[in-house]
Amino acid sequence: MEKIIELKNLTKNYGDQQVLRGINLDIYQNEFLTLLGPSGCGKTTTLRIIAGFEEPSGGQVLFDGVDVSKVPAYKREVNTVFQKYSLFPHMNVFENVAFGLRIKKVDESFITTRVNRMLQMVGLADFGPRDVNLLSGGQQQRVAIARALVNEPKVLLLDEPLGALDAKLRRDMQVELKKMQQEVGITFIFVTHDQEEALTMSDTVVVINEGTIQQIGRPIDIYNEPENRFVAGFIGESNIIDGIMKKDLLVHFDGVDFECVDKGFPENEPVEVVLRPEDIDIVKPEDGKLTGQVTSVTFKGVHYNVMVKTKYRDYMINTTDYWEVGTPVGLTLTPDDIHVMWKTPY
Amino acid sequence: MNKGNGFWAKLYVVLCFAFFYLPIGVTIFFSFNSSKSLSHFTGFSMRWYEALLKNNDIVQAVYVSVTIAVIATIVSTILGTITAIGLSSTGRVLKDAILTMNDIPILNPDIVTAISWMLLFSSLGFSKGYWTMLLAHIGFCTPFVITSVYPKVRSLDPNLANAAMDLGATPFQAMIKVILPAIKTGIYAGVLLSFTMSFDDFVISYFVTGNGVKNISIIVYNMTKRINPIINALSTIVILVIVVILIVVFATPRIRAKKAAAERKMEKELEEEGALPPSGGVKKHRRLGAGFVIALLGVVLVAGSYSAAKKSASAAGKKQQLRVYNAGEYIDMDLLGRFEEEYGCTVVYETFDSNEMLYTKLLAGDQYDILIPSDYMIERLIKEDYLQPIDWSLISNKDSLNPDVMDKEYDPGNVYSVPYFYGSVGILYDKTLVDKADLSEGWNILMDQKYKGNLYMYDSERDSFMVALKALGYSMNTTDEDQIRQAYDWLIRQRKTMKPIYAGDDVIDNMVSGNKAMAVVYSGDGALIMSENENMDFFEPEQGTNIWYDAMVITKDCQNTELAHDFIDFMLQQDVGEQNTEYIGYTSPVTGVYKKMSQTMFKGIDAYQPRSGYAKDEVFRYQTQDVKKLYAQLWTKVKAQ
Repeated sequence: MEKIIELKNLTKNYGDQQVLRGINLDIYQNEFLTLLGPSGCGKTTTLRIIAGFEEPSGGQVLFDGVDVSKVPAYKREVNTVFQKYSLFPHMNVFENVAFGLRIKKVDESFITTRVNRMLQMVGLADFGPRDVNLLSGGQQQRVAIARALVNEPKVLLLDEPLGALDAKLRRDMQVELKKMQQEVGITFIFVTHDQEEALTMSDTVVVINEGTIQQIGRPIDIYNEPENRFVAGFIGESNIIDGIMKKDLLVHFDGVDFECVDKGFPENEPVEVVLRPEDIDIVKPEDGKLTGQVTSVTFKGVHYNVMVKTKYRDYMINTTDYWEVGTPVGLTLTPDDIHVMWKTPY
Repeated sequence: MNKGNGFWAKLYVVLCFAFFYLPIGVTIFFSFNSSKSLSHFTGFSMRWYEALLKNNDIVQAVYVSVTIAVIATIVSTILGTITAIGLSSTGRVLKDAILTMNDIPILNPDIVTAISWMLLFSSLGFSKGYWTMLLAHIGFCTPFVITSVYPKVRSLDPNLANAAMDLGATPFQAMIKVILPAIKTGIYAGVLLSFTMSFDDFVISYFVTGNGVKNISIIVYNMTKRINPIINALSTIVILVIVVILIVVFATPRIRAKKAAAERKMEKELEEEGALPPSGGVKKHRRLGAGFVIALLGVVLVAGSYSAAKKSASAAGKKQQLRVYNAGEYIDMDLLGRFEEEYGCTVVYETFDSNEMLYTKLLAGDQYDILIPSDYMIERLIKEDYLQPIDWSLISNKDSLNPDVMDKEYDPGNVYSVPYFYGSVGILYDKTLVDKADLSEGWNILMDQKYKGNLYMYDSERDSFMVALKALGYSMNTTDEDQIRQAYDWLIRQRKTMKPIYAGDDVIDNMVSGNKAMAVVYSGDGALIMSENENMDFFEPEQGTNIWYDAMVITKDCQNTELAHDFIDFMLQQDVGEQNTEYIGYTSPVTGVYKKMSQTMFKGIDAYQPRSGYAKDEVFRYQTQDVKKLYAQLWTKVKAQ
């Protein structure tokens, strides 16, 4: 795959406040890339710099290897779907979608065909003459997407586009967006603070916190092998435990040695161990490496959320089995279930 | 039950509308009156419309009002809209400061704004006229545009411009194609506000104009000084235009919507046959709108260049110019045209509504060649060195002046002034209602219980105190506080016991109609009333009265003294004096004119000859500030009763 956008040591300050502290990122053709992070982390700023709405304080934005840091938004080959859609309130659906083409002074019959095809794609085939102010949130969303895609950009930027939709519609749109991306075959850069959304849709997830990239990777890698405590905590739920890496493939915590699959740490390095709640097995006390007592059980639909109090700490475990509160239990872990990270100052 | 409610509700609405529209209806009705009366309909005629069209002054004023309103609206809309858009992305502190500052001119009383503009232009040494009026109008309209556009801008999605630029629009295109259409309702509101504010502005225009430039409001205001039914005709036309505009504004969107719906339907049918791309209709409307705007701009440009061309034409001719400042409706305008022709010059004619107004203008540095103020103001202007002596050797008609009206206290020896009109104040009474014997009471007839609730006083501080002081046997120029207070008591007592009506110029019409038994009036007005209603008679009480003079004077900074003298001489000509007197109705100081008029138009009307040489009659003198203040305070109290 070819690189289409490169961000090189991007920084951005608002007054004394440093919002981006050196972002380095390569974005490839055809990629569905998600910028994920809590609000205020700098993900939207990064997107706005790519779109050209903001100038970086330092660093470069390269499109196809050319620095576009000083190129105004209207000359960039990207289009944006805004968080609140920002549809033009004085135009109907057709005119909203046709806007970009009209600016380019494209032939009228061409516009008609293209706009109608776009509306068909987003499922609004007969909506052309409708007033955009009278559409539902989901419909406005689709108009915004059509309005951006009609220009056949190389990259589509989406700034938390699903934030305003209800849960059911959001899930439907996630699937649909992914499908559209595959259909039109262009790069999507998607900004969200919703980790589930990021994991569902993306080819690549970029986790950002406090203006710095924490981790870049495939959703499954980000989930299973978070690089630090922040990523582990932000993506899914986990038990994060201080431990010591005795040697390759052997980690010690809570007074017990565990075999693991991690290596490359110095001997006796203090580390952090991530245990996903669904990876811990509850067994009889005599079969467990750790022992404790069930302190609470919460029904979550598919599984139970069980809290087990051990000598050192409370473990959070997700299991499909029901355990009575007060039952003495044992806990076991296979080497695959254990993920060892470098200790971070958080 | 329901039905009953419906009836009362309807009646309420009908009464409300009757209340709003009755004044308008009356105006329209009397614009077709064949006589001068504003209260008696004597028959249908179009004479006032004819007079209106012939009146170059009014046509010119309409032109001034319309072009100033259009240009001021366009400029202030552009300025205000840009400011409002800019404000939306300004820091909070600065924005709040600017918005607060923007509110101040809006809340400021017009009169304060007016005087501020006048002083500004005077201090900058601008020559007042069309451009100063236009600048002031732009100045006071812009804050209104900002106020109506800004909330609309603030409610916009902040990413709207970004969205447009994201789709390839340049910042300018984003502004034109997205931001402006999205805030257009705010802009329309601003346009409407500006246009109406500018079109009906009187106060500010009045103070900032000069060199004879007048808008409709000023012209109408000046006309109301005397009965002039042309106002009715003018008002009717303005109302008609507004009605037409309203109909167009309200009907057009509906017609357009209907048309658009029909078009869409047709397009859809055609589209189904595959003959036409859809949405062509939208584009057509846009073109229509653009065409309209361009047409409007064209009209303004043409109008602008027309006025510029006219100005440069008059400048190119390098005609001599005479700037005359006179009271409103106080000359037959045709005479000015005749003077211009005979002397190959241009007369720049302006009017004031009171001597005090004239004084304020002079104080503000406005320049004129000839003024026509009243006696006491002439005295003040002489004292304060605003005037230059008349060169009587240049006045060939000086011998035709009536010696009785010369050499009065306000200008002994007529060093500075040449009388224009003069008259007295007296009591006009209905012979059929007032007992002739009662006239011997003099001014005290106004206290006679027989006539309680049946008389008009003149709504003026000076004239009312004159009546009271004379009734008490004092001088009307007294500075003795005790005497002034006695006069005040007299007026209070009269107000309580007699219930008089304080009237302005409307007294003329009311007395022509014989609405009350008597009225305090100027002799000239008395003569006019008597010529229309033969039951009326006029007398000047034995206790003495006010004899007033309006006279022509030449200012110190007159630029063409020769022409100024020519003008004065011209006004003293027999035929000129006759024509002017016929129009104004006051008593001419030219002996020949006076004689002719008293034998023709005012034959047998004694009011046409004010008393002369009577020791108890007086002329108003210039008074010190303290005394004037006392009069003003006491008069306010009388009126507050």
